[in-house]
Amino acid sequence: MKIAVCVNHVPDTAAKINISSDGKSIDNTGVTYVVNPYDEFAIEEALKTKEKFGGDTIAISLGNESNKETLRKALAMGIDNAVLLKTEEYYDSLSVAKALAAEIKAQNSGLVFFGKQSVDFDNSIVGQLTAELLNYNCVSVVVEFELKENKIIADREIEGGKEVVETLLPAVITTQKGLNDPRYASLKGIMAAKKKVIEEKTLAKPNNFTEVIGMKKPAPKQPGKIIGTDSSAVPELVRLLREEAKVI
Amino acid sequence: MIIKTNQDEIQNYLSDASNFSGNCRSVYLPFSELEIIEILKSCHQTKTKVTISGNGTGLNGGRVPQGGIIISLELMNKIISFDSTAKTITVQPGVILKDLQDYVESKKLFYPPDPTESNCFIGATVATNASGTRTFKYGPSRDYVEELRIVIPDGRIINISRNQFTAKNFNGKLIAEDGSEINFTIPNYKMPKTKNASGYFCAENMDMIDLFIGSEGTLGVISEIKLKLIDLPSSIFSCIVFFNEEINALNFIVEARDHSKNDSAENSSKKCDAQGLEFFDFNSLKLLAEKYSQIPAEAKAAVWFEQELSNNYDFIIDTWMSLINRYNGQTDKSWFAVNKNDQDKFKEFRHKIATTVNEIVTKRGLKKVGTDVAVPDKFFVEFYYLCKNKVENHNLDYAAYGHFGNSHIHLNILPKNLYEYELSQKIYSEICFEAVERNGTISAEHGIGKLKRNYLLTMYGESSIKQMAALKLVFDQNKILGIGNIFEEKYLNY
Repeated sequence: MKIAVCVNHVPDTAAKINISSDGKSIDNTGVTYVVNPYDEFAIEEALKTKEKFGGDTIAISLGNESNKETLRKALAMGIDNAVLLKTEEYYDSLSVAKALAAEIKAQNSGLVFFGKQSVDFDNSIVGQLTAELLNYNCVSVVVEFELKENKIIADREIEGGKEVVETLLPAVITTQKGLNDPRYASLKGIMAAKKKVIEEKTLAKPNNFTEVIGMKKPAPKQPGKIIGTDSSAVPELVRLLREEAKVI
Repeated sequence: MIIKTNQDEIQNYLSDASNFSGNCRSVYLPFSELEIIEILKSCHQTKTKVTISGNGTGLNGGRVPQGGIIISLELMNKIISFDSTAKTITVQPGVILKDLQDYVESKKLFYPPDPTESNCFIGATVATNASGTRTFKYGPSRDYVEELRIVIPDGRIINISRNQFTAKNFNGKLIAEDGSEINFTIPNYKMPKTKNASGYFCAENMDMIDLFIGSEGTLGVISEIKLKLIDLPSSIFSCIVFFNEEINALNFIVEARDHSKNDSAENSSKKCDAQGLEFFDFNSLKLLAEKYSQIPAEAKAAVWFEQELSNNYDFIIDTWMSLINRYNGQTDKSWFAVNKNDQDKFKEFRHKIATTVNEIVTKRGLKKVGTDVAVPDKFFVEFYYLCKNKVENHNLDYAAYGHFGNSHIHLNILPKNLYEYELSQKIYSEICFEAVERNGTISAEHGIGKLKRNYLLTMYGESSIKQMAALKLVFDQNKILGIGNIFEEKYLNY
């Protein structure tokens, strides 16, 4: 079985994001990029599945040269091969899904893991779109995954509980926090990763259906108010919480 | 300045991370050096005791008052100046270490001292000569202090740079900013050659700035600090290696330590040049296993090391790899940080062990008993087993970890009841004694404060403590500042 895992290279969640001068993209100055945190669960589940059932794992990422860093990490964690779908262009979610679907098809992979969303633009849609384009089954926001021959039983996280879903391969699974604890790269993995070549495939221009025309920062936070510094301020604090903030 | 007198406002200032607590009348929060002078002068005249407070992250009761007032430096938290060419930064004492580190790193420079708790005030790290993981390579805070401004209890200011005032044998002399001379005798006890934070720094012909570094708020209030910075390493190789046999982990550390010291001194290509070599025993890993399911089940010990990389990446990794193989480290299950994010997670892993121990004992309504001992390298492995056996012989819960590259052990005993707590104290005391027997130290980094005074007495003997007290009296004739830190108040009355 060939297991694919799609990984995205995103700004570190701790990074301070600024908008660049064109008004519609991120200013990358001083921003560190990391493996999309939800994709780490996808990588781990791909590795666990391989360890259990054998097969081959491949990581696929769409983006520019810097995405190689994320692919390198996937390799260091133990993924067998990596492909970079190389582009400098903006790809909307559907364009990303189309490119990924084509690659997954070319790789002949019947089980595909995605993080449930990328923490950069939060569209939470690429996994599902890719499944549809491939005509694969899809289970999203998975917190427990079990494979028995070609049958999948997966727990999905829903408000206040879990939904247990059954489906068949081929399938796309999007992973949620709680599914597993992603491993760290091992020394052996690092040594092996250094020897591996990341395959590069240059993409044609995308045919986007959506376009980002601007970015806005949230309104600056209102400054706090100090009412007092000892217990005599409590009645006033309670009054304000009740009457102004209306939280109690 | 802000003055807090309401008892419910000042509760936070009455204890530290050791859970030791005290009492005081009021807390003074000065905005400036002038205000520190004003407070100290008035207390000097009225003979009011003054305890200086950092951010409460200490582990020995140093900032815990026993009556009198507190001066907390939290409002003096400005970066005064930064010089990228000279690679120095001048700050007020209340700047938080983490903020200082982030600030200089954004300017591509680096401040190496890194105590595990980075929410401490920079002034407090100087007052306690704080160290941490990276001390193995870079030394403690002392090595980075270039200049200090200190207000002594009578209100005079001492502005002292490194190499400005040197002692003649054991005779110290300082000139205050008003031109007055301060003459004193430096105690002549021999400090251990290990990493050390026990008592005043004293040595023949010493640089007088060193007297104030690690003086635990007993000689003056630090109002300004100029620190030396170094270039920010371009990248870091960080790894947690798991071992199936504890002795292999210890021997791995011994060899990595020797390589790091020798390779870096003799060889410019610097094969092994660890920033730090940290150890975790089986019990520590067991405590962490709940939060880190990735820890290999068969691991009996782990070592975390970090090394800076330049363009010799492959060479360094190969060197470590063969060292790990030689001691049967688990190369396929060890953790390797591939980016800053992972490095921070490893740091968090190290920090977690200390916080987990604290959580457990706090839930039991008790306090942990944790050693801070260090011994000369040649005794290290034998000493480690001696400490461990002492605890195991009494069937006490414990976790052993620490800066083993510096032969520095945090053996944490987790008592389950009051009887075990008292037993732990007894074992702690025995371990301190054994460390002193081997020319080691009872406190390598936490300092003495109010909780370890008796052990300092064991380490240096009463006549040395009296010399320290006599030295303090030169700066603090009215016995007001940091009373009870390092030695008991009674020594000031001989």
